[in-house]
Amino acid sequence: MTVPATLDIRPSSLSPDAAALLGRLVLIVLIAGALTAVDPGFASVSNLLNMLRQASLLFLVASGLTLVIIGGGLDLSVGANLTLSACLAAAAIKTTGNPWYGVAVAIGAGTLIGFANGLMINRLRLPPFLATFGMLWVAQGIAYWFMAGQTIYGMPMSFRYFGTGFFLGVPLPIWITLVVCLACSTLLHRTTFGREAYFMGANQTAALLSGVPVERRRLLLYVLSGLTAGIAALVYLARLNAAEPGIGEPLLLPAIAAVLVGGTSLFGGSGNIVGTVLGAILLTIIVNGLNLLNVAATWHPFVNGAVVLIAILADLALSRRRPGSS
Amino acid sequence: MSASVPLQRKSGIAQLLGAIPGAGLLLILMLALFTLVNPRFVSQTNLVNVGLQTSLLLMIALPMTLIILTEGLDLSAGALLGLSGVIVAEALLAGWGVFAACAAAFAVSAVFGALNGILIAYLALPAFVVTLGTMGLMQGIALVLTNGDPVGGFTPAIETFYRSQLWFVPLPIVIAVALYAALWLLLYRTRLGNYVIAIGGNKDALRLAGIRANLVHLAVYVLGSAIIGLSAVLLIGRTNSAHPTVGIGMEFEAIAAVVLGGTSFEKGQGWLFGAVLGALAITVLRNGLNILSIDSSLQVVCIGLLLILALLIDQARKQFVRRAA
Amino acid sequence: MMHGTEIQNEQGGGSLHASTGFAPLATGSEADAPLLRLVGIDKSFPGVHALKNVSLDVYAGEVHVILGQNGAGKSTLIKTLYGAYAADRGHIEIEGRRVSVARPADASALGIAVIFQEFSLVPYLDIAQNIFLGREAAFSRFGLVDSAAMHAAARIILDDLGLDYDTRSYAADLGVAQQQMVEIAKALSQNARVLVMDEPTAAISERESDRLFQTIARLTEKRVAIVYISHRMKEVQMLGDRITILRDGAVVTSVLRDQKSQAEMVGAMIGRASGSQLARTPRAPGEPILFTRDVSTAKLSDISIEILAGEVVGLAGLVGSGRTEVVRALFGADPIASGEISLSGSRAPATPDRRVRAGMALLPEDRKREGLALPLDVRDNATVASLWRSFASGWFSPAKAERDTRGLIAQLGIAAHGTRQSVHTLSGGNQQKVVLAKWLAAGAKLFLLDEPTRGVDVGAKAEIYRLIDQLVEGGAGVVVISSELPELVQLCDRAYVMRDHRIVGHLAGDQLTERAILELAVHQ
Repeated sequence: MTVPATLDIRPSSLSPDAAALLGRLVLIVLIAGALTAVDPGFASVSNLLNMLRQASLLFLVASGLTLVIIGGGLDLSVGANLTLSACLAAAAIKTTGNPWYGVAVAIGAGTLIGFANGLMINRLRLPPFLATFGMLWVAQGIAYWFMAGQTIYGMPMSFRYFGTGFFLGVPLPIWITLVVCLACSTLLHRTTFGREAYFMGANQTAALLSGVPVERRRLLLYVLSGLTAGIAALVYLARLNAAEPGIGEPLLLPAIAAVLVGGTSLFGGSGNIVGTVLGAILLTIIVNGLNLLNVAATWHPFVNGAVVLIAILADLALSRRRPGSS
Repeated sequence: MSASVPLQRKSGIAQLLGAIPGAGLLLILMLALFTLVNPRFVSQTNLVNVGLQTSLLLMIALPMTLIILTEGLDLSAGALLGLSGVIVAEALLAGWGVFAACAAAFAVSAVFGALNGILIAYLALPAFVVTLGTMGLMQGIALVLTNGDPVGGFTPAIETFYRSQLWFVPLPIVIAVALYAALWLLLYRTRLGNYVIAIGGNKDALRLAGIRANLVHLAVYVLGSAIIGLSAVLLIGRTNSAHPTVGIGMEFEAIAAVVLGGTSFEKGQGWLFGAVLGALAITVLRNGLNILSIDSSLQVVCIGLLLILALLIDQARKQFVRRAA
Repeated sequence: MMHGTEIQNEQGGGSLHASTGFAPLATGSEADAPLLRLVGIDKSFPGVHALKNVSLDVYAGEVHVILGQNGAGKSTLIKTLYGAYAADRGHIEIEGRRVSVARPADASALGIAVIFQEFSLVPYLDIAQNIFLGREAAFSRFGLVDSAAMHAAARIILDDLGLDYDTRSYAADLGVAQQQMVEIAKALSQNARVLVMDEPTAAISERESDRLFQTIARLTEKRVAIVYISHRMKEVQMLGDRITILRDGAVVTSVLRDQKSQAEMVGAMIGRASGSQLARTPRAPGEPILFTRDVSTAKLSDISIEILAGEVVGLAGLVGSGRTEVVRALFGADPIASGEISLSGSRAPATPDRRVRAGMALLPEDRKREGLALPLDVRDNATVASLWRSFASGWFSPAKAERDTRGLIAQLGIAAHGTRQSVHTLSGGNQQKVVLAKWLAAGAKLFLLDEPTRGVDVGAKAEIYRLIDQLVEGGAGVVVISSELPELVQLCDRAYVMRDHRIVGHLAGDQLTERAILELAVHQ
C-alpha cells in the first residue's frame, strides 16, 4: 500500500498553470507580431509602453476581482466603485489641494464599498451577483448625484505623477501594477488566507466542514476587491486628470474578460494573478489592434461581450475535461 | 418550511390582503408619506404618470419574473431595449412599414433570447455572465448602428400609438395590463407555466416526467427577450426617438422590482403579481422623490436602499413566523 | 447520485445462492407467467460490482418484497428497472416479452411507476400540479389547463389514500411524511401495472402507513404488481407474498411468505451466523471529551450521548435514522434548537471553525462533496484544516506544507504521485485517507467519522481500522457511523442505536452484536 513518495514529480519543471500562462504569452506575441506587420509603428517603444499603461489600469480593476472569483464569488461593482472613488477623491483633492487626502478618500471609499458587498452577501444571504449588481447602481447613482453633471479637472502635478510619471524609464502605473500583482500573488500563494480562498472557491461546503471561517474570509475578499478598485481609481484620476461619473462603467466587461481570459475559472478555486496581467494585456492589444485597423470605438462593447462569451465557453470546455470539478 | 408562506401565494387579491410582503408594506407607507408631504402627489395627472411609468417598467419586470423563476437572470434586458428601439427606428427611416419594423425588432430580440437560452439551458452556464456577455454584444451593435447618437425623425405613428387612449386609459397601461393577464394565464393556467416553475424548483423532476426541460428553459429566454424587444416600441414612442443606451439600467430596476415583490432567486419561488407590487413601489418612490425634487441619480440609490429594506423586513418576518410556530 | 450510496460489502461476495438454499417457486397464483421478469441483471460502477446476476419474478396481484441491508444493491436494482441506469448484462421481460427500458419514459410507457426515496416534487407547484406534472394534457381545454378538473382528479386520488390535504398546498409547505404520501399519490395516478415502492414508510406515521397498506391491498386486488422495498420486518411479514433477500448485490434467497422465520431472514441479510464476530480487545477509556444533553435540531430530538477519551463509539441505525445529523450537530454544521453540547468540560463554541480549533474533526459521509476540494491537490486538501495551527502567523510556507504533506502521505500510506496530484485522480480509499490526513494534521482529539470505509477497497479498509486503533491509543475519542454492521461491531467499544431521529438504545460489551443492533434499528 505504501507507494514511495519519491515518485514525486516536482512542479518546478512545467506545471499546467505555467504552461497555460506560457500559451497566453505566445498568443500575445503572435497578435503583437501580426499587428506590427500591419503597422510597424505598433512595435515602437512608446506605443508599447502606452499600451502597457492602459493594460495596467485594466489590471488594477481586475486584480481584486480575480481574488473574489478565485474564492468562489463575483463582484460586478468594481467599475462603479472606481467611478465613485475617483469622483470623491477628485473632489477631496480639489477642495484641500492635498493629494494625500485624495488617496485616503479613494482607498477608504473603495474599501467601504467592498465591505458593504461582503456584508450584504453574508448577512442578507444575497447571491453575489445580485448584491454587487445592486451596489453597481447605488455607487453609480451616488457618483452622478455627487458630481451633479460636472467634471472635475486639473489635479496638482504631484498627484498626476501617479498616472503620467516615469520611474527608471518605466511609467508609474506599470510599477503600481507590479506591486499590486506581487501583493496579490503573495497573498494567494504565501498566506493561509490565500490557500483558504482557493479551497473555498473549489468547494465551499468542504471548506466550512474543514474549519475555514468562510464568512470572514469572504468579507475580506470583497474588501480587497474594493481596495484595488480604489487604487485603480487613483491611477485613473491621475492619468486622465479629470473625473466624471461615466468613467468606470465601461471597465466592468473588460475586467471580467481579463480575469476569464487569464485562466481564472468562473466556477472558483483556480486561477492566478499573473494570468490576469496577461489577460489585461491581451484585451488591451485587441482594442489597440482594432484601432489600428480603423475599427470604430463603438465596436468596443461588442468585442468585450464577445470576449467574455468566448472565455466562458473555453472555460467550460476545459473544466468539462477535468473530471470531478463540475 | 411554512415560514415563508406569505410570499408563496401565486395569484389573487385575497392573498394580497392576507399577507402583504415587504414591498407592499413599504408601498403603502410611501403613498401615505408622499401624500402628506405634497397633496399634489394624488392628483390625477400625477397618478396617470405613475401608471405610465409603472407600465413601462412592467414590460421588462413581467418577463424577468418568468426568467428569475427558472433560477435565471437577464442582465441584457436593458441593452436589448436600446438595440430593439434602434432597429425599429432605423427600419422606419429606411422606409419599412411600422409592422415590418416591429417584426424585425421582434426577430432580432428572439434570436438574442435564443442565444442566452442555449448557453444557459443547454450548456448550463451561469446566467449572469452569459447575459453580461450578450449585453456587451447588444450594446455594441446598437452603438455601431447609430454611431452612439439618438435616432429621430421617423414616422410619428409610434408616438401617436404611445399617446393614444382606450376609454380614457392610456394605451401603454392597457398593454401592460394585457401583458400581465397573458403571462398570468401562461404561468398559472397552462402546462408551460408549471414547467417554468419546475425548472427553477426541480429540473430533474421535470425530465423524469418526460418533458424536454431544456427546451422549455430555452423558450423562457426567447419569450422574455421577444417581449422586452417589443416593449422598446413603447419606449421610443415616449420621446419619438431611439437612443442606443436608453435602456441601460432598466434591467436593474426590473430585477429590483421582481425581488422587491418577493420573488426569490431560488427554487422557482415567486409570484407574478410581486412584479406589479415591486414596479409600483419603485415608480412611486421615484415619483415621490421627484416631487421632493431629489436628484434622479440619488433615486437609484434609494431604490437600492428600498430593496435592502424590503429584504430585511421579509427576513425579519420569516424569523418571527418561525419563532411563533 | 445513488451509486455513491449503494456500495458493496466486498467481503461476502462469493457465496451467492449456495448458503441459504434457493426455494423452488411453484405455488399459488402463478400458473400464469410472471408479469415482470428481471433476468440476469449485472451492473458495475467504477470500483463496485453493484448487481451480480440478479433475477427476479414479479407476478400480477402480488407484493414482492425486496429485503437487504444498506448497500445490498436495492436502489441500483430499481434504477435499472426504471431506465435511470443501463444494465451491463441481462434484460427485462414484461408478460414474457423482452422489452427495452433505456429511459424513464420507456418505463412509464410500459406501466412501471416508481416511488423514489428522494423526492421528485417541485417545491412551488401545488399538490395537484405535482401529481399530474407532465400529464396536464388530460385536463387541457383550448390550451389552458382546466384547473378545477385537475384538482378534482387529485382530490379523488388523495381521498383514495385517505389524505385530507388541500390539493392547493405547495409541496414546499408539506412535511416530509406528507411529501412522501404525495409521491405515492403521484405514482398511483399513473395507473401503473407495476408499482415500485422504495421504503415508502421510512418517513411517514403509523396512521399514514395503515392507509398505504389498505391502498396496496386494493391495488393487488386490481392485479397490480407491487415491488416493495423495506427494512421493517413487521411490514415484510404482513405485506409480502414473496420475499427476495439481496446481499452484496446478489440474490441470497427468494421465498414465499411464511417459508422463513424473521430470525432466518435477518440472518440471511447479515450473511453469517451471529456470534462469528471477532473478539474485541476491551479498551480503558479516560476522561469525557464530549457530552451532550437533550440536543434537538430541526431533524433530531433529545440526543444525549457521551464520548470518552480512548474509546470508539458507534452510531448505528438505518439510513435516514438521523446518524449523520447527529455528527453534523456535534460539529456545529447544523444549528441546534435546544440542549447543550460540552467539549472537554466547557460549552462547545458556536461555529465549525472554532470547534475545529477546539479539537473536533468531521469526516463527512459524502467525501467528494463535503470532505475534499476535488480539483485541488493532495497538499491543499491535507493542509486546509491545520493552516491555523501550522502557520499561526498567517504566512504560508509551501516548503513546510510540502514537508508536512509528505509526512502525512508516508504516515497514512497514501498512494499518490507526490503532493501536487489532484485528489480527484486518487482512488476512493486514498481520497478517504487524505480526509483523515487533514484531521491528523489538525491535531484533533475527537474524530467524527461518518461511513469512513464506504467505497474504499479492502486494503484501505484495514488501514483505516488500524488508524482508528492508533487514534484511540493516542487518547482520542472516535465516533463511527457505519451501515456495515460487522464493521461497527468489530470497531466499537459501545454503540448508540438510532431510529426515527432519536436514540433508541445503547449497546456495550457482549450486548453489542449485529442482531441486537438490527433489532433495535428496524421497526418491530
